[in-house]
Amino acid sequence: MGGKFHTTYEQDMAILQSLWVKVWLGILVFLLMLCPYILTRYQLSILNEMAIAVIGALGLNLLVGYTGQISLGHGAFLAIGAYTTALCADNLGLPFVVTLPLSGFMAALLGMIVGVPSLRLKGLYLALGTLAFGFIVEYVLFHWDIAQGDMGLSVKPISVLGVSITKEQHFFYVAVGFAFLATLCAKNIVRSKIGRSFIAIRDRDIAAEAMGIPLAKYKIMAFAISSFYAGIAGALTAHYQKWIVPGSFDLSLSIAYIAMIILGGLGTILGAVLGAILITGIPHGIVLVTDILKESYPKLSGLIVDLKLGIFGLIVVLALSFEPQGLAGIYRRAKTYWKTWPFRY
Amino acid sequence: MEKIFGVLLNGLSMGAIYALLALGFVLIFKSTGILNFAHGELAMIGAFVCYSLAMQYGLPYFIAFMLAIAFGALLGAVVEMVFFRRMVGEPIFSTIMITVGLASILTSVAGVVWGHDVYPLRGPFTDKTVLIGGAVIGQGAVYTLLISLVLFGAFALFFTRSLLGVSMKGTAEDPHTASLMGINVNRIHMVAWAIGGLVAAMAGIFLADQSFVRLSMSHTGIKAMSAAILGGMESIRGAVVGGLLVGIVEGLAANYLSGAVIGGFHFGDIKEVAAFAIMIVVLMIRPQGIFGSEKVERV
Repeated sequence: MGGKFHTTYEQDMAILQSLWVKVWLGILVFLLMLCPYILTRYQLSILNEMAIAVIGALGLNLLVGYTGQISLGHGAFLAIGAYTTALCADNLGLPFVVTLPLSGFMAALLGMIVGVPSLRLKGLYLALGTLAFGFIVEYVLFHWDIAQGDMGLSVKPISVLGVSITKEQHFFYVAVGFAFLATLCAKNIVRSKIGRSFIAIRDRDIAAEAMGIPLAKYKIMAFAISSFYAGIAGALTAHYQKWIVPGSFDLSLSIAYIAMIILGGLGTILGAVLGAILITGIPHGIVLVTDILKESYPKLSGLIVDLKLGIFGLIVVLALSFEPQGLAGIYRRAKTYWKTWPFRY
Repeated sequence: MEKIFGVLLNGLSMGAIYALLALGFVLIFKSTGILNFAHGELAMIGAFVCYSLAMQYGLPYFIAFMLAIAFGALLGAVVEMVFFRRMVGEPIFSTIMITVGLASILTSVAGVVWGHDVYPLRGPFTDKTVLIGGAVIGQGAVYTLLISLVLFGAFALFFTRSLLGVSMKGTAEDPHTASLMGINVNRIHMVAWAIGGLVAAMAGIFLADQSFVRLSMSHTGIKAMSAAILGGMESIRGAVVGGLLVGIVEGLAANYLSGAVIGGFHFGDIKEVAAFAIMIVVLMIRPQGIFGSEKVERV
C-alpha cells in the first residue's frame, strides 16, 4: 500500500509532511485572501466567528484531546479574556497590542489555579469541578460592579498604530491571521517535548510519572496553555461583538466547544479546526434552510429557536453514533479508502 | 432558633428533590458508566406529561402521576435503546456528548410541544402546609423527603440483595466480563435507564409542585449532578446525603448571604452557585466525594 515512509528524523518532524500538503495549504490561503472581495458581509461574519472558534477549540483540544483532562469550563476562560480586554481598554486605556496578550495571560493565570485541583481530581470529577468553576465565573461577572452585570460592557474596536479595524473585511484578516498563528503554535507544541509529555499523561499518567515526566508541571501547563488560547479567543470575541454580557459565556458555550473537539476528533489539530467550523456553521445552516422553507411553511419561523437546538443535538448524536472518532476519523478513513482503491486494504 | 429551624426544613425540602434526582443519576452511572447530562431534561418531560394529563385532560392527579412516571420509565428505556446501545465500550467523552445532544433534543421537543410558557401544576398537596416544631413546611416537601428516603432504602436493598441489582453492579464494573458471566448487559442497561427515567420523572413532578412547570426547570439537573458528585458518584447513600446537603446549604446561603454587598460585589441569587461552591470545597478535601471509595490503580 502506498504509505509514506520517512528516512530522517527531520522528515518525520516536519510540520508540512509532503508537497501536496503545501500545495493545498497554498490554495487555501489564496482562497481565504480572496474571501473579503467575493463574500457578502453576512457570509464574512460567519467566517469570522469560525476563525475565533478555531482558536478556542485548538486550546481546548490541547487540554482535553492531548492531555486527557476534561474541562467543561472553557467558556469561563473566554469570558475572562473578553472582560480583561474590555476593562483594560476602557479603564486603563491600554492599546490592543497590550490588552490581547494580557487577556491571554489573565486567563492562563486562572487556568493554572483551576489546574491545581486536577492533580487530585480525575475524569468525571474534574469535569464537574471545571463545570462548577464556569458557573462561579458567570455568577461573579453578573454580580460584580465593575463588570456591570446584565448591562454588559462596550468594547472599542481594535486599533493598532492609529489604524482602527471596524469593517468586517478587515476583521476577517485579523481573525484568520490569529487562527493560523494559533494552529501553527498548537502544531509546534504538539510535536515538541511538551506535546509528547501531554500525550504520555493522557495515555497513562502513572506510567508517565514513572518515566520521569513531572505530572504537576505538565498538567498545570496544559491548563495554562489551553486557557491562554481561550483568553485570546475571548478577547477577539469581545472586540468583534463590541458588546459583552456574562450570559453569552455560559455553560452552552463550554458545551459547544466540547462538541467541537469531540465531533472534530479528539487529539488532532485538524479535528479541532474542522469541529470549530462545523459547530459554528450548524446554526447558520439551519437559518438558511428555514429561510428557504419559510414560503411554503410559514409556521416554521416561530419554531426556529427550538429547531436550532434540536437539530444541533441531532447532529451531535448522529455523528457520534456513526463515527465516535469524529470528523478527523472520517477524513482518515476516506483517505485510506482512496489510497487503496479499488481494494479494501 | 425558630428561624434557623425553618430555614433548615425548607432547605431539606429542596434537598429532597435534589436527592431524588441524584438517585436516578447515580443509578444510571452505577450500572452503565454514563454521566447523564440529560437527567434534568428527563425530569422536565415527566413534569410536562403530568401537567398535560392532570390539567389539560383532567385526569385525577394520582393517575396522572402514575402515568407520567410510567412514561418516564418508557422514555428512559427508549433512550437507552436508540442512543446508547451501540455506544457500549466507546470512549467516555463520546457518551457524555451524546447525553448533551440528547438534552438539546429533549428540550427542543418540549419547546415545540408545550411552548416556552410557565404552567402551574396543582396537586392534592399543593399549597398545603404542615407545622413541624414551629416551622412551616409544604406537605409536598414532606412527601418528597419520605419518598426519597424510602427509595434510598429500596435501592440499597436492591443493589445488595437482588440478583438484578448485583448484576447491575457487575455490569458497571466491566460490561465485557459481565456478559461472559451470562449477564444480559443490554437488558441490564435498559432496566437501569428505565428506573433512572422513572425516578427523574417523579423528581420533576415534585419540583413542579414546589414551583412551576417550565423548560428551564431542567437546570436543576446540573445542580443534582453536583449533589451526586458531592456524595461520591457511585454511592446511593452519597446521592441522598449530597442532595440534602446541597439543599440545606442553598437554603442557608439564600437566607444569610443574599443581599450582602462587599466591595462592590453583590451576593444576590447566591443560591444558584452555592451548590457548586460547596462541591469544589468538598472535592478539594475528598476527591472521591463523601461516600465514594478511592480507586486503586495499577499501571
